[in-house]
Amino acid sequence: MKTGKTVNLQPPASGEAKAEDRDAMGRLATQRKGEVRLGREVQVRIGQQLRALYDDVVSEGVPQHIADLVRKLSDQDDGVA
Amino acid sequence: MTLDPAIRDQVLGTVPSLRAFAISLSGNIDRADDLVQETLLRALAHIDSFQPGTNMPAWLFTILRNLFRSEYRKRRREVEDADGRYAETLKSHPEQTGRVEFNEFRAALAKLPSDQREALILVGASGFSYEDAAAICGCAVGTIKSRVNRARTRLADLLAIDSVDDFGPDRATRAVLAGGGRS
Repeated sequence: MKTGKTVNLQPPASGEAKAEDRDAMGRLATQRKGEVRLGREVQVRIGQQLRALYDDVVSEGVPQHIADLVRKLSDQDDGVA
Repeated sequence: MTLDPAIRDQVLGTVPSLRAFAISLSGNIDRADDLVQETLLRALAHIDSFQPGTNMPAWLFTILRNLFRSEYRKRRREVEDADGRYAETLKSHPEQTGRVEFNEFRAALAKLPSDQREALILVGASGFSYEDAAAICGCAVGTIKSRVNRARTRLADLLAIDSVDDFGPDRATRAVLAGGGRS
């Protein structure tokens, strides 16, 4: 791209085919290079769903047997069950 | 000696997140709870090596991950299987199952290589900095960044392919709706 040859001045036909490909590939056109080119809305969505999944478990809080265990160990002199 | 209640509360406060991380590692809720329990036993037995004021969650996550690696990973077949079971396990959390999109996301997440999923979860869900995540995983910060990037890219790729039919013509609108639904 940044060479003197200016590859992006290609015939229109080629350009069209590329655009079409991007549409057909679905909505992640900016990601085609395989790098961190994800669209902002894609990143936001991934982040939201990831947290929703994780928070499903987090929202269960501390299981009773774990809470009991920690309390028991906390009050012990030798710290070993 | 009796544990400082402040430290104990920090430990307890980390448990929910620690469980979520353990599930993502082991792919199984029962084993995850065993792992959490072992982690807490070890942590409390060595609580003197925790320096007050430093990052309790990072400390516990590190212990849990090391335990998982040293004990559980020997059963290699099971661990590999965990990638598949991860999706199954999470189906027991039905809150979100009404959403096709959400199920697709879970399936896609289960397809990631475990090191990428781990990095993505530590940074994207547990909320650790890249530096903390690197310390937890015992690798370079750049490695974590790279794993997170690859995980995101792969997820986006999987989701795009899997949801072409469902998404309809306007992905941007769909994304906005999904976002709006959660707020």
